[in-house]
Amino acid sequence: MQVKNYQELNMMELDTLREIGSIGTGNAATALSSILGCTVRIETPEVRIMGYNEAMDWIGGPEVVTAGVLARVEGEISGIMLSVQQLEFVNLALSRVMGHQVSRYDELNELDISALLEVGNIMISAFINALAGLTNMAIRLSVPAFAIDMQGAIIAVPMAEFGGQSDHIMAIGADLICDGQTVPCRILLSPDIRSLNFLLKRLGVLDEQ
Amino acid sequence: MNNRLVVGIADMKMRQYEGELITYALGSCIGLCFYDPMIKLAALLHVMLPLNMETGRKNPLKYADTGIRETLRQMEGKGARRGRIVVKIAGGAKMFDVPGGGSLGNIGQRNIESVHLNLKKEGIRLLKEDVGGTAARTLWFDAATGIGYIRSYGKPEGIL
Repeated sequence: MQVKNYQELNMMELDTLREIGSIGTGNAATALSSILGCTVRIETPEVRIMGYNEAMDWIGGPEVVTAGVLARVEGEISGIMLSVQQLEFVNLALSRVMGHQVSRYDELNELDISALLEVGNIMISAFINALAGLTNMAIRLSVPAFAIDMQGAIIAVPMAEFGGQSDHIMAIGADLICDGQTVPCRILLSPDIRSLNFLLKRLGVLDEQ
Repeated sequence: MNNRLVVGIADMKMRQYEGELITYALGSCIGLCFYDPMIKLAALLHVMLPLNMETGRKNPLKYADTGIRETLRQMEGKGARRGRIVVKIAGGAKMFDVPGGGSLGNIGQRNIESVHLNLKKEGIRLLKEDVGGTAARTLWFDAATGIGYIRSYGKPEGIL
């Protein structure tokens, strides 16, 4: 089988991925709404296939400090799930779960970090559960890891992981609307290229040339 | 921020006599400052992975081995001499500590090793380095002086 690279996908394949993004983030939003106790909706999900430097602009500049929760996807497909939590989202989650807010990331205490890691983990797990249910595949997640640093370096982790296969990165994700307020929260699924092909084939949309 | 030339990921740019080169948010990636002090020629290279095993090799600057060779070739094209070129490097951090994460955690470490090995192979002197750790680095480099500067989240600015 000829393995297709990200930039070779056709419209139908992209639509399918968008649908996966929609179901996955939808599920994550539902999970989030039950932790935070507010209504969480998602904006139209997007599938972006970007060059490295384009991805930096898309996420809002490489040097902006952000929190990231990362888990490795294993099993029938492999890849990386990343939840990027900008300060607005951090404060939304903290005010609901911990009852306080912070103005900078270095004010976060150990308990705050643990809460944010758990929020990220629950969203990532909800996303992957939806994907596993949809495709009837066995997918596992690694124990999540947490980092606060420049977001350029955080998003470079999936890039470096799949950098040997492609000059592009694929991100499926969406922003959230919590109680009518748009909060940028990006949940990204970056599958490796073989997994991407396997996934599309499993869903019956892979156009094999 | 004026007069700074931005070097992206898997990218290399050169300046001569004056001006600054900057590359943002080096995580596991490595930034290499090449400098020929005699002709004040500076090059900043941002590599992402240790070894080029890609068929076709469309993007040599993405990898440490082919990136170093390509940079040296272009510098020599501008009159630099291999014996005079010195290098300072920064980056190779481990951004996430994933338990049992396999290769995920040590791309930074492999990058550092590959850069060391390839500089040695090309006979280029490594002057100074700020590598490893867990924090991302923004690196800029002054073509007039050959001095590099490093900025990290939550740390004072450093000189390379």
